[in-house]
Amino acid sequence: MTNMLLQIKDLRTHFFTESGVVRAVDGVSFDIAPGKTLGVVGESGCGKSVTGYSILQLINPPGRIVGGQILFEREKNGRKEVVDLLKYGARSEDIRQIRGNEIAMIFQEPMTSLDPLFTVGDQLAEAILVHQKVSKRSALDRATELLDKVRLPQARELLNKYPHQLSGGMRQRVMIAMALSGQPKLLIADEPTTALDVTTEGQILDLMQSLQEEFGMAMLFITHDLGVIAEMAEEVVVMYLGRVVEKTDVRTLFDAPKHPYTRALLESIPKVGHKHDGPLQTIEGMVPSPFNIPQGCPFHPRCARFMPGICDEAVPAETPLERSHTVRCYLYSEQAEGDRYGNPA
Amino acid sequence: MEIQLNAVPHADRPLLEILHLKKHYPVTRGLLKRTVGYVKAVDDVSLTIYPGQTLGLVGESGSGKTTLAHSVMRGITPTAGSVIFHDDHLGPVDVASADPAALRHVRRNMQMVFQDPFSSLNPRMTVLDIIAEPLQVNQIAKGKAAQERVAELLQLVGLRPEYMRRFPHAFSGGQRQRIVVARALALNPRLVLLDEPTSALDVSIQAQTLNLLKDLQSRLNLSYLFISHDLGVVEHVSDTVAVMYVGRVVEVAPTRKLYQQPKHPYTEALLSSIPKPDPTRKKRRIAIAGEIPNPANPPPGCHFHPRCPYAQPICAHEAPPLREVTPGQFAACHFSDELNLKGVNDF
Repeated sequence: MTNMLLQIKDLRTHFFTESGVVRAVDGVSFDIAPGKTLGVVGESGCGKSVTGYSILQLINPPGRIVGGQILFEREKNGRKEVVDLLKYGARSEDIRQIRGNEIAMIFQEPMTSLDPLFTVGDQLAEAILVHQKVSKRSALDRATELLDKVRLPQARELLNKYPHQLSGGMRQRVMIAMALSGQPKLLIADEPTTALDVTTEGQILDLMQSLQEEFGMAMLFITHDLGVIAEMAEEVVVMYLGRVVEKTDVRTLFDAPKHPYTRALLESIPKVGHKHDGPLQTIEGMVPSPFNIPQGCPFHPRCARFMPGICDEAVPAETPLERSHTVRCYLYSEQAEGDRYGNPA
Repeated sequence: MEIQLNAVPHADRPLLEILHLKKHYPVTRGLLKRTVGYVKAVDDVSLTIYPGQTLGLVGESGSGKTTLAHSVMRGITPTAGSVIFHDDHLGPVDVASADPAALRHVRRNMQMVFQDPFSSLNPRMTVLDIIAEPLQVNQIAKGKAAQERVAELLQLVGLRPEYMRRFPHAFSGGQRQRIVVARALALNPRLVLLDEPTSALDVSIQAQTLNLLKDLQSRLNLSYLFISHDLGVVEHVSDTVAVMYVGRVVEVAPTRKLYQQPKHPYTEALLSSIPKPDPTRKKRRIAIAGEIPNPANPPPGCHFHPRCPYAQPICAHEAPPLREVTPGQFAACHFSDELNLKGVNDF
């Protein structure tokens, strides 16, 4: 295994609801190298957030991780070891050691991630005290340092403020400060700038990039915004209905996308600075109900390159193209995936 | 001071003229509710919309975009200024001061579409009831005739008329937004105010909705006021774009000009902030410090001066008027002529 920080192999997270089983994540695999950024892009319901939550085992019933491996390289007593996070129980001491410390996470809406009844200082100090054996006083000093790091002015005064006294951008900076408190090796960012205004979004993206360099952490960047992906990610996975349909480096994704879904997605966004009067390319129909995922390639009912008798039979296998580029589509390989849900191999 | 916004050359006369529109909310304090100040949500805004054209309105949250749209409809009564709607029958009507009869008539010609199609449809009404409601309220059609009109409208927005007896929950977000559009079009309006109509939708659905809106515009000769924070979407749909900052319009220009040769530093900052879907582009963002000021207590002079990289002493005490910098392009900056600002493709 060549030096990967995180390897997800065949992750399956399903939700067992009264109306049926939702296979929110269904056989997802990807790797993240230390210090690098992997972008996960897809429309709502594609399973990108559930993938992020699964890494930290933050899946609540009726959801359950039903299969796969999440291999994470840890340093313990000066030695590197690779552990499968899914071997740890969701409530185990081991996973709690990792959560918020070695792997941190930030979310879309910073207001709901902060407790309105506690000051910023209390909440930051709490995050530090959970993982480090220090006094409350030095935790608050550390909190001040962290607020400086995320470029919040007057950090001392800010410690005594409540979340409602801060703007959306400031709250997201506080969340980032909190995430950095344990000097994580991996930061999972779930749509961290979606709720922010565009100038604030720009500031936060710049901040995250410079902090990533400074702390040498890897990022899993989940977003639906292809512009943000282009700026932040080095490698990208495109998800559709719980599966990775294409995986490649960011240049190739935008220059030479292979999967018809990726192509259509890229063409359907209005490109700023390139105004034209014609209609936008669209993807026919809509994302199917998660209870009723089409047989075969799940994209086939909307696909412009649909091949009857092939695409609607079995799920296409993940096909390696050049370098790290893989795609799940019968245009590139006839190979189907034999899986255990009744689809023929 | 009269502002003529001949942003795009027109043979037509304007459909809607917003003139020096203001909406100020008093800030009160104490037991006696003494007024201690005002939130100037919309502060002296003048804009013009031409028949069959789209005016895009961009700005960050709190800039007054939505307040402006609601004031145009007189959902909110403006504090001052006028909103002249050029009606086919009544001639020019000032919506801001119209009597109830004229207002009712003019409002038929102006409709709104909101951001969230999940909260703008009553879950207990069928699609038929929802779309027929404006027809019944205005005593235009009922019963069979209304049903036929609803079927026609559903077809117009690309939905199957057979679905008219279903409830909103049976539809996806994109389909619901089509229902909202069908309802807005029920009375054959001339102007549709679209407030973030695609923000709640996925990218692939957004493209379908934008295409639908453009198609309807050319078929029905509709005018749009298109509000969005997404600069890519606004560029795609708009003929003219206005940029708002803390209640004021800082720049208004034909779309290409505004995006390629902006004349206000805030426009430039916005254009540089957009994450562009092109990984080869150099990331040269104009670092603008700080955040949007509180509209209850905006900085004096030009509201943008504390964040502006080009600010001079004069900017702190004198508010620059909106003036024509190049033909059809208006900006509110003391230094529009001197500054050589970058366009969206220069970053």
